[in-house]
Amino acid sequence: MFRYAISFVFVSCFSICASAESIRIAIGHQSMCTDTYTAGIVVKELKLLEKYLPTSGKYENAEYDISWSDYSSGGPITNQMMANKLNFGVMGDYPLIVNGAKFQATDSLRTKYIAGTGYNVKGSGNAIVVPVESDLYSIDDLKGKDVSVPVGSAAWGMLLKAMQDAKIGSKQYGLKNQSPAVGAANIAAAKIDAHADFCPWSELMEFRGTGRKIYDGSETGVPYLHGVVARQDFLEKYPEVGVAFVKAVYEAGEWIREDPIRAVDLMEKWTGVEKEVLYIYFSKGGHLTLDPTIKTAWVDALEFNHGVLVNEKAIPPLDTNEWVTEDYVKLAYKELGEDYDKEKATIIDPAIANAKNPMEIWHSRDGLSSYASISELLTAINEFKATGAKLNATYVYDKETGLKLFGKTAFYVKTPEGFEAFLRKPDADSYAESISGTVLDFEAALKTLKS
Amino acid sequence: MLDQLQLIKVIAFKNTRSLLLFICAFICVYYGVSLVSLVVRFGAFPNYINFYDWLGNTKVIVQSTPSIQDMLMIIKDEWLMEVGYMNYDFGHGISEWSLFFVPFKVITVALIGLVLGLHFMMNRYHQMRSKKAAACSGIGASLVGLTSITFSWVVCCSTPTWVVGLAMLGLGVTTSLWLEPIGAWVSGVGFLLLTLGLLIPKQRGDTNLNFHSLDKKIEGQ
Repeated sequence: MFRYAISFVFVSCFSICASAESIRIAIGHQSMCTDTYTAGIVVKELKLLEKYLPTSGKYENAEYDISWSDYSSGGPITNQMMANKLNFGVMGDYPLIVNGAKFQATDSLRTKYIAGTGYNVKGSGNAIVVPVESDLYSIDDLKGKDVSVPVGSAAWGMLLKAMQDAKIGSKQYGLKNQSPAVGAANIAAAKIDAHADFCPWSELMEFRGTGRKIYDGSETGVPYLHGVVARQDFLEKYPEVGVAFVKAVYEAGEWIREDPIRAVDLMEKWTGVEKEVLYIYFSKGGHLTLDPTIKTAWVDALEFNHGVLVNEKAIPPLDTNEWVTEDYVKLAYKELGEDYDKEKATIIDPAIANAKNPMEIWHSRDGLSSYASISELLTAINEFKATGAKLNATYVYDKETGLKLFGKTAFYVKTPEGFEAFLRKPDADSYAESISGTVLDFEAALKTLKS
Repeated sequence: MLDQLQLIKVIAFKNTRSLLLFICAFICVYYGVSLVSLVVRFGAFPNYINFYDWLGNTKVIVQSTPSIQDMLMIIKDEWLMEVGYMNYDFGHGISEWSLFFVPFKVITVALIGLVLGLHFMMNRYHQMRSKKAAACSGIGASLVGLTSITFSWVVCCSTPTWVVGLAMLGLGVTTSLWLEPIGAWVSGVGFLLLTLGLLIPKQRGDTNLNFHSLDKKIEGQ
């Protein structure tokens, strides 16, 4: 009997030692927010996290239980992280700040900002859109008008800053709280004068022909960025998993850069967002620079954004020194053999980087074709139209900011050498005045080249 | 005061079943009205419903939150069920609005129902109560009801639920942001008024309580 008891204890102990540890990795992402894709949908669908998860040392017998939850905004992700139903969260700058501040307001819980996903150095991604037939063309026209925005989002912060810069007081316009879907529907039905939103809603409205941008977030000059936060207790227990996650983010960016057309085609299937809209973000010269490094300017921008929230409403303090850590992203770069400091020091400004990029036409059957000038692009569009060919989208670059635009929503100025394209009509007007030219819309510009 | 408490006790014990029914009905009406107001506001019927493992989630919170204060703060926001409208015009669908059920908030609504039920029964069995009491209860119930709203939509990046709920029903941004930090105070004042409403004695000239006759009156129903 005693011998059986000893055997039972021994076998039990052995079983416990040999049994695999189950590590639950739960990630909250946003399939309707383009700038989060490199830490969300791409990592999920390509199983990049699985590729980099540690399998040696204390992880030798580990069994990973990975789950992905899709959310419409960052707020619920923070709530789920607080309840420990999520270990990682991917979100935009304002929700990130709320995440850090809410955790720091607790006695016992903390998150860490461990990596970025992408950025636009000037703040493009957020925008103010008006109904396509509206006679509003600049932010100054919004005096006395109603503007809706998802309050608490990055777009809300952009709107406040934009109005302050334009010296439009809070009593000089009506501010409405509106979700992106409702705001987009109201723009389509011209029920609201203007709607401000985050990526990719503005481009979605432009692509569908319901809205027109009158203000791009890049005009605020405050970088727009997204990033990854993780629960500190999880990172302390499994630091290698944190590093693996950042490696997956890096590879997701490389995968998109390698072949943007393949990437947007697949991302459309995964997210339901039109590939032509995604292309304006993820293509060469697109709005989004994919870069997981944490730059000093990003931390400054987050602190600035926190100040906006503090001014507008009660938000707990946020100690960015405690919250932001480069440990995981630095180690990930080192293990991948990449130069972290070099990438950290590189900041892409579309105005410079896109200056010589070609214009593009997305033919529904033949795919993308490039053109060196706007004149060549418009001529090609006329030729395609003459054959009845269906064009999914056309792309030009704003002369002022270097931002990629849908050809159909840009304003054009005829110059002796050809054309220049503009995002905003006031910019086109002033340029036209300086060269004694005229401002044309897309259709009018096409007509000038018809023989 | 003691007489009033005694009266409440007697009425509560003698009418337990009716009171429970009243509370259940009040909860149903509260959430029913909430749902209808969302349908009217957004012009769309709900098209999805989600259930959450409240017990399992609470267990995870308890196991992973060292501070009891944090633990309670997180548990009180845990969802049990969600009903809402999913808009499929964008992406693979985006929740345009939702009404969710949080056990902590349901208990709060049940407490409002309990107090209002007691008022109703005290009026029924104990003649007309003071107008002050009725006003206190009415205002108190409205304030607590207001802070117990559990609506959600995609824009609630950083705002507590009850203010989001008011904003969804059309409250201005400036007002909702002003209200945000005083939510706990509004709720506290509401509960205070509800309690006061119960404790304010009946109208002057009828101050002598006769519990024996009251018992008989209740038994005679």
